[in-house]
Amino acid sequence: MNLSDHLPAFLVMIPLLGAFLTPFAGSFNRGTRNAFFVTFSGLTLLTAIALCLSTLNGDVLVYVMGGESFALTLPSGMTYPVRILFEIDAFGSLPILCIAIASFAGALFSLDYMDRFSGWKRFLALYFLMTAGALGMCATGDMFNFFVFVEISSIASFGLVAFWRDKPEAVEASFKYMLISQIAAMLLLLAIGTLYGRYDAVNMAALSAMAGSGTLERVAMGLIIAVLAFKCGSFPMHTWMPDTYAEAPSGVTCLLVTVSQASFYGLVRVCYSIFPGLAAGGVVAWMLIALGVMSMFFGVLMAVVQHEIKRLMGYHSISQVGYMLLAMGVGLLALGSPEAVETYGRAAIRGGIFHSVNYSFYKALLFLCAGSLYYATGTRDLDKMGGLARSMPWTAGMFVVAAAAISGLPPFNGFVSKWMIYESSFAVHPILPAVAMITSVLTLASFVKVFQAAFLGPAKAKFVAVREVPYGMLAGMAVLTVMTLLLSLFPGWFTSGFFESAVNALVNHQSYVRAVMGGM
Amino acid sequence: MWSQLDTGFGHWNVFVWLFFFVIISAFALWVRSLGRMDYKRSTEQDEIFWSGNEVPEDGADFSVPASSSYWGFRVAMEPLYNLLNRFHNGNASDYAGYFIVTVASIGVLVLI
Repeated sequence: MNLSDHLPAFLVMIPLLGAFLTPFAGSFNRGTRNAFFVTFSGLTLLTAIALCLSTLNGDVLVYVMGGESFALTLPSGMTYPVRILFEIDAFGSLPILCIAIASFAGALFSLDYMDRFSGWKRFLALYFLMTAGALGMCATGDMFNFFVFVEISSIASFGLVAFWRDKPEAVEASFKYMLISQIAAMLLLLAIGTLYGRYDAVNMAALSAMAGSGTLERVAMGLIIAVLAFKCGSFPMHTWMPDTYAEAPSGVTCLLVTVSQASFYGLVRVCYSIFPGLAAGGVVAWMLIALGVMSMFFGVLMAVVQHEIKRLMGYHSISQVGYMLLAMGVGLLALGSPEAVETYGRAAIRGGIFHSVNYSFYKALLFLCAGSLYYATGTRDLDKMGGLARSMPWTAGMFVVAAAAISGLPPFNGFVSKWMIYESSFAVHPILPAVAMITSVLTLASFVKVFQAAFLGPAKAKFVAVREVPYGMLAGMAVLTVMTLLLSLFPGWFTSGFFESAVNALVNHQSYVRAVMGGM
Repeated sequence: MWSQLDTGFGHWNVFVWLFFFVIISAFALWVRSLGRMDYKRSTEQDEIFWSGNEVPEDGADFSVPASSSYWGFRVAMEPLYNLLNRFHNGNASDYAGYFIVTVASIGVLVLI
């Protein structure tokens, strides 16, 4: 048996096993518990890296659960695949890698950050479940399992957001998120049920091969797009995001950032791979562009005036998701015409994917920096902070890297991906890059304020005893800093090696269909 | 080249920018070296000038809070911020309503 053939199964199995073993690990001493946490997160990361590397040449990995062979998608006599099926292409492997890296960084960070709190059993089990759910969302090849993984990650995140049960704000944030998420989940299930009723299939590749353009398909697609736009934090359905991101423990917020990217992945998969005929070149593309522009602009406007650091960053998350929606909307608009795809479509999709990867790292890093400040000072209020660069030089340095990257300052990676989005969206209408650039300027203004308020200025007497955070927390931040710097220094390598394959996978959606349906 | 990128519209090389920053930094250091050399550490030259007043011992007494940043921008945009703050009122029922209205709007748009 070749173990590498089973990588897609290991990807979800390892964190799930971690979650189910947690009741035993929770009884161990601190060292064993930490080793357990890091080992399972590290194994998940290694699996994700191996998976990502095996899809770089354009291969689509397919894995069938419970069949006579893991590679047999259509047993004899079957027209549609009916078993639980994972399908990972170059586009799907990118969010998988981002989630695994963020999960590993969040685990390292949480070792010390959560050490002074009780409830580790709950924390570990929910953390691993959320990781498994998010990874499953990007790995699965059928809509119903996608729904199941969405629910796994959502339910785990409700628990983690309300982890500090003695804080009313945390419980309230979790409740609001749960309320709207459950309405969204019902609508998602309704849409999937509609497709199942229409085609007797829930497999994504089978749906892509059969989907027509009738009213039922349109309604189902509209519901799925709306639900996933909500889950990734698009305006005007973003209202859960600042509260949720602010109240969750910072290691969890780091992972939540990439969970939102799993929803973004689902949204793009639905538009580009399942319903390209319906979504390309028309109203859906313009809808994504409109949602993107509104998310960018209103998200950053709200962020500029915040003085609670994690809430401010939560609003920036909405703004950053706006860039990605804009880019993927422009790409979808171009998808209707082969000429437009070559002129600006591929550049837009590449920019959107690049920005999504960048966002996963620098945004997760920013939340960990905010967590470090909270750990050291006991407050998230920027009005009460100040002069901390002297006592927390490493945190300050890594914050500068992340803040410069999100603000789109050259030579950081945020600049490169935003630049691609500006260029490609200009081909559609000049107002689009204009709004994106204004958003970028306001983002810079916002993070200049954060840096000035938290790290610069005279030392405050109440923070005399503040010292740099423990090594575990620094290590978690360092992982994401290294990724941000690598993406900044070698954008050409990442683009030609990773993003171009992902663009090809989205533009040529037939390869996604053929991997499961054969020559159909 | 790993650091070089051609987007189809333009060209980007991160090391050109880093080289540019090195040149500018070297120039800035050269300008700095032309300045006065009689500065003495740990003397009154090191003290903060606070409009001629005695400087409070605690930095908290004379630092600018984050809420005061971009005051002019906030005042200029007050009508828009009033609207946005009403939108973000913290009421879960309203938030669920925004979601439902958006889903309905998207539903109508995809049917057109």
